[in-house]
Amino acid sequence: MSRRLLELTINGETHQLLAEPHWTLLHVLRNQIGMMGTKENCLEAECGVCTVLLDGRAVNSCLLLAGQAEGHQITTIEGLGTPENLDPLQQAFIECGAVQCGYCIPGMILTAKSFLDENPGHVPSRQEIREAVAGTLCRCTGYGKIVDAISVSAERRLAKQHKEPAA
Amino acid sequence: MNAEAFRATGRVAGKRLPRMDGIGKVIGKHVYAADFTLPGMLYGRVLRSNKPHARIVKIDTSRAKAMPGVRTVITAADIPAVRYGQAVRDAPVFALDRVLFYGHAIAAVAATTLEIAEQALAAIDVELEDLPAVYDPEEALTNAILVHPDWQDFKVLPILVRDGNMTARTRMITGDADAAFANAYRVYEHRFKTALQHPGYTEPRASVADWDANGNVTVWTNTQLPFDTQTTLSEILDLPVSRVRVIVPGIGGGFGGKLRIGVEHYAALLARNTARPVRVLSTSEEELIAATPRQSAVVHLKTAVDRDGKLLGRQGRIIVDCGAFAGSGPAMASVSLQVLAGPYRNGTLALEGIAVYTNKVPAGSFRAPAGPMANFAVESQMDIIAEDLGIDPLELRLRNIVHEGDKGPSGEELKSVSVEECLRKAAAAIGWHDRKPAPGRGKGIACSWWMTTGGSSGVYVKIDPDGTATLVSGAVEIGTAALTGASQVLAEALSLDLDDIKVAGVDTQTSPYDYGAQGSRTAFSVGNACLAAAADLRQQLFELAAKQWNITTDGMELRDKQVIAGNKTIAIAELARLSRLSGGGLIAHGTANSPGPAFDPGRVENHMLPAWNTPSFHAQAADLSVDSETGAVSINRYVVAQDVGFAINPTYIEGQIEGGVSQGIGQALSEEIVYQNGRVMNANLTDYKMPTAMDVPEIECILVQSASAAGPFGAKGVGEPPCIHPPAALANAIAAATGARMHSLPMTAEKIVKELRSARE
Repeated sequence: MSRRLLELTINGETHQLLAEPHWTLLHVLRNQIGMMGTKENCLEAECGVCTVLLDGRAVNSCLLLAGQAEGHQITTIEGLGTPENLDPLQQAFIECGAVQCGYCIPGMILTAKSFLDENPGHVPSRQEIREAVAGTLCRCTGYGKIVDAISVSAERRLAKQHKEPAA
Repeated sequence: MNAEAFRATGRVAGKRLPRMDGIGKVIGKHVYAADFTLPGMLYGRVLRSNKPHARIVKIDTSRAKAMPGVRTVITAADIPAVRYGQAVRDAPVFALDRVLFYGHAIAAVAATTLEIAEQALAAIDVELEDLPAVYDPEEALTNAILVHPDWQDFKVLPILVRDGNMTARTRMITGDADAAFANAYRVYEHRFKTALQHPGYTEPRASVADWDANGNVTVWTNTQLPFDTQTTLSEILDLPVSRVRVIVPGIGGGFGGKLRIGVEHYAALLARNTARPVRVLSTSEEELIAATPRQSAVVHLKTAVDRDGKLLGRQGRIIVDCGAFAGSGPAMASVSLQVLAGPYRNGTLALEGIAVYTNKVPAGSFRAPAGPMANFAVESQMDIIAEDLGIDPLELRLRNIVHEGDKGPSGEELKSVSVEECLRKAAAAIGWHDRKPAPGRGKGIACSWWMTTGGSSGVYVKIDPDGTATLVSGAVEIGTAALTGASQVLAEALSLDLDDIKVAGVDTQTSPYDYGAQGSRTAFSVGNACLAAAADLRQQLFELAAKQWNITTDGMELRDKQVIAGNKTIAIAELARLSRLSGGGLIAHGTANSPGPAFDPGRVENHMLPAWNTPSFHAQAADLSVDSETGAVSINRYVVAQDVGFAINPTYIEGQIEGGVSQGIGQALSEEIVYQNGRVMNANLTDYKMPTAMDVPEIECILVQSASAAGPFGAKGVGEPPCIHPPAALANAIAAATGARMHSLPMTAEKIVKELRSARE
């Protein structure tokens, strides 16, 4: 199959590669660029572990063609925080005991980030959080501590917003 | 030095500390087996049968082999005819003359890309001729169709009683059950059924294999049992064990589904043929048609009681459907009998467990294997009896439960018995006094017991010159935080902080042996081995300090990261440096093994696990509502009271409970690998319904701590019990809410509404 030059913006950096038109973003991230933080499982958009952000919104990278991501800002788990400077959601997931095997966690955190960013200014109810992450399966935790972590993170963000009103 | 000398101060062990591998997991740096790659790696895929039972007329791989990019194609004809297995060695790598189930491996391909490997599968020409098949486990016991006509040729454990499709039969007998039944006030007899349940780990089974220049093979894989996998691979590859090296980079859940060899052998065989590293990763479809789901079961249970509801005897039979290979079925037919006996004074027992072959997916041990099937039967029936006798279901249980010092079903002495406390606490928390608060709403309770599996653990603990310690263990961290727990035990004993401990990855070439991440044993057994190593290290530290100060070790203490003798102190770090100068550094080998208690062999026949090591006790209670029109269940509250002995890290114990209950809710209400005429009808994650965040309620955990004699600081096994009770607790709550009694899992809305309608008619 003929390959064409693809230019992707991932975590603020530009990546150029020759790609076949049917390659998914997940395939490109993991197998072409070697960014393994985005996880692979069902490849049918049923489990959510491959979730990344496209212009800030959660998408399943296993079904999105890499070409469709051109011209958009792609954020993967590697773009969220570092060990020294964790994203507040990453921090809250650790503190709340929301991580067990961890395989769903990158997708879960990015789904939560997209949801919280789309709902600024209030702390969503636990039910709303459950609805928001229902597309990502976690077999380890039973979800309770994941909901705790997202809730705690939302509370902290609101408290910070109150302390530091927008300039 | 005696490990028991250590006491938990609450400084590290017992604290809610964050797990040690948490940061790597939240930033995407943690490497799982599915992430592992090697330069020049080929991609392997497996061709699987699309028929449930058929004679292989022809396999022609020539077209596939000729495709550009295809490096090898292998079938049964290309490898030694080895059969592997646990109690029964019945499983070949590829189908031999017949395929035995839908999904049975026929051939494997390695190619330069995954796409080419997939195209090559389609180019393999296989001709299959249908054979009559047997799918129902009860029919299989009397059917003339044999899944394995050559069953008598298999190598088996001598304890097994077998006959045709029956691959194991075990019994548990106490007293004269027939006499007890003859004199009973009432006898209850019911039949219950449970379904095949996939473990549902989010990381598929994945392996990369590579052979070195000396003919040794290394396999990077997500197994729960690296040493068992090493042994099985050595048999399949016909190599000494030491020439097979298994490394577990990281594992995205297991729950029992990654205990036994999964795709490692395909990767190793393909890599040997191509002299290239080969990776094999299961697809979702392969997971659902050809992994090792929880066995389905049929339970016949008969119970005799007196006028007050006191148990006089139980008779029963559980049939465990193994599918095409025995797997853990014989062991589970055994273990299910203890669960059927329950944490009860039964009077007499006459229980039988049967493991049977059918032409379905080879099943296995999913978290508390056999637990939920047997518990669903016994705890549902307890409620049926209570209802019939007009006794409150909690009260009926309290009249019959075991107490400290009672004999268990095999005649073993029961210790640290806490089932009453668990039942009372769960009942109080759910508001048992108001069991039917509104029409369509009801509460249910169930209790059980479960073992802490023994098996040996070894650890090396090394103290570095900065005063920190490295734990080298052959135990896999499957996500439970069991190794964080074991490290907390180690840190506590060495007077270190948890941050001072590092855990080395599992590598069968360098790690001490461990029986594996199974059976609620990792924190328990590795923790005990850590205490043994800590005792050794403490003695080494004392002796180094004694030499330094020219005194004896009498009265020395290890506290605040230093050795203290009177007014003298010396830091562990300094002693580690001194040890490097003269003693080759500080290192200790700690081991642990926890044999089961003494039992009465006269009470068991052909039983593979006759007496449970350090049993735990637990109760769960549910409050739910049922929509009378649709049958839909919504769980309002869910309470767990579980005896964990000593809570090494309460956060992750709650995590085990919440996750286990969630899996149990799935088994109870929605999960089933559905077969029709031998074919799986729902081999994808849309139609195989695992609970989402919308389906699981808030789970309230009550940690009961009745210390064990054998566990680190009194701990008991934690991981498996939480998924035992949900089917029964929810069935009992559904009955309380609606009057409908469900006898088969999963209790889908469709089944419930059908039951409600037939009750109305």
